[in-house]
Amino acid sequence: MRTYFNDLPKTALGASYWIFAVYLVLPLALMMAMSFKDANFIAFPIGNWTLSWYGKVIQDKQFLEASLYSIGIALATTISATIIGVWIALLVSAENIWGKAVIFALACLPAVVPGLINAISMRIFIRAVDIPTGTFAIILAHTVHAVPFVVIMVLTRLRSMPANLVDAARDLGADPFIAFLRVTIPYLMPALFGGMIFCVLTSIDDFVRTFFLGGYQPTLPMLIFAKVQGGMSPEINAMATIVLVVTTAVGLYAEHFTRRSRS
Amino acid sequence: MQPVVHFKNVNKSYGALTAVDDLDLAIAPGQFVTLLGPSGCGKSTTLRMLGGFDSPTSGEIYLEGKPISHLPPNRRNVNIVFQDYALFPHLTVGRNIAFGLELKGMESAAIHKRVSDLLALVSLQDHAERMPAQLSGGQRQRVALMRALAPDPNVLLLDEPLSALDAKLRQQMQIELKSIQKKTGKTFIFVTHDQEEALTMSDVIVVMNKGRIEQMGGPDELYARPRSRFVANFIGQSNFLEGTVASVSGGIASVEWRGNAVNADVNGTAPIPGDHVTVALRPEAVFCLSRKPEDRQSLKGRIDQRVFKGAHTSLTVKLDNGSTLEAQIDPVALSHIEGDDVWVGWRDRDAVLLAK
Repeated sequence: MRTYFNDLPKTALGASYWIFAVYLVLPLALMMAMSFKDANFIAFPIGNWTLSWYGKVIQDKQFLEASLYSIGIALATTISATIIGVWIALLVSAENIWGKAVIFALACLPAVVPGLINAISMRIFIRAVDIPTGTFAIILAHTVHAVPFVVIMVLTRLRSMPANLVDAARDLGADPFIAFLRVTIPYLMPALFGGMIFCVLTSIDDFVRTFFLGGYQPTLPMLIFAKVQGGMSPEINAMATIVLVVTTAVGLYAEHFTRRSRS
Repeated sequence: MQPVVHFKNVNKSYGALTAVDDLDLAIAPGQFVTLLGPSGCGKSTTLRMLGGFDSPTSGEIYLEGKPISHLPPNRRNVNIVFQDYALFPHLTVGRNIAFGLELKGMESAAIHKRVSDLLALVSLQDHAERMPAQLSGGQRQRVALMRALAPDPNVLLLDEPLSALDAKLRQQMQIELKSIQKKTGKTFIFVTHDQEEALTMSDVIVVMNKGRIEQMGGPDELYARPRSRFVANFIGQSNFLEGTVASVSGGIASVEWRGNAVNADVNGTAPIPGDHVTVALRPEAVFCLSRKPEDRQSLKGRIDQRVFKGAHTSLTVKLDNGSTLEAQIDPVALSHIEGDDVWVGWRDRDAVLLAK
């Protein structure tokens, strides 16, 4: 009895973890299950199973266009956020830079500012400087949001980099640029890769910024939102399931890659 | 012969701190030169200035007669082996060694040949495809050495490269480094705080202290003829006897030391009677006898402490004049025990006057 009592915190922790896991997975599982239901409304029991909703989604031109649009925005965001993020990380990690803390704080600000506030302020800003809503404005907002994650990941990696590595490259005949390209960048690769995947995923996932800054062409979240307003249907579930599976696969691969290259 | 490296009146200060103080140092080609000194003596700064990672506050450094202070590291024909090796973790052993060759624009067949030759020099032929993380400490050390030698530098700089290895491996690497230096005929400039390392490998040792050169010379010369108390103490151990010069004749000074007359080599100094001087005396130069010798000078004392150390025995002798003397004697030659009366002395040439 006594030992059982001593183990209680541990038991309780274990049990509550499993409750949490169920709470986490069950809605996703339900959503996925409903996408196979052979009826155009969402309710139990499922009855007949079908793949027809997936067939419909894959042939849905709107869905394909929105997917490509989202991917395009995600790639543009990733490229610009990575360049800016690496640049800021290098700046902050340099030895004699005045106002280091301020630069770092400013770069990280978008990570803590609520998305809605961020979106509204960006909307006001683009109107003030006469940038039209649409693709460019969306990429601008997504980039601002993604930069802090790149900065933090790259900075963490940079700080673990032996200072002598760049010195060794310089010593062997590399000018500063070659040393950066052939030693610093490869050393940063795991962090860069992780940061880039993170940029892609946040960009594809973003709704609120896109909502305020987008034009007429819908991104994937916008399309799903529009369809939901017309009523839930297994077709939306199928779309959501495809997005879920693809993003999870990308995320897991990134995690695997980062872990392997660190060891 | 023109020196391969020449520091001329080189100063380096960081704010109020002077790291290198008016350094004048000429290094002849093909030698194994060691900069020896305690941490903060300026030896690493000297090396980094030669490598191009620090620039002198004033003065000029010449490499084969040409001033190089204004050149960045990538435009100096010197290479450095770092203390932590600094191997590129994302490149294989072969690619690490090839790094400098690729940047020189050498063609790939020639690079391949050179890399395998270098690896063969340290018996690592089979390791070209390994990653640095898969190597042992000694192997990494060898790869770092070969990477630095690959571009065929005039001068190889080594910044305490053995300090991360365990004692046994370090001794083995000392021998190996020395033999590679002989084989390649290059000038090696080696930085260390370990006097034994310096004595083992060097043709020339430069003892540094507080940013200045204390003394420069061959290992045996520095050991037998230290010029200063710092050198006498930093390389090996010494007894220091402070006294007044009574007379000088034939290069031997007679020194009045605590009521006794003791003799010492003038060691390049020019003492005159009445000078206050310090005499340095190695413990192993001291003899201990149980009877007063008739044929040479000796001082009477009593054994205060006796420590058996295997290869020799250490004695601390309390002399009748009130001071103590350390002596190292053959462990089997003497059956003295603590408390025994002994007569100690030394050959005149084994004790040396210090300049400062």
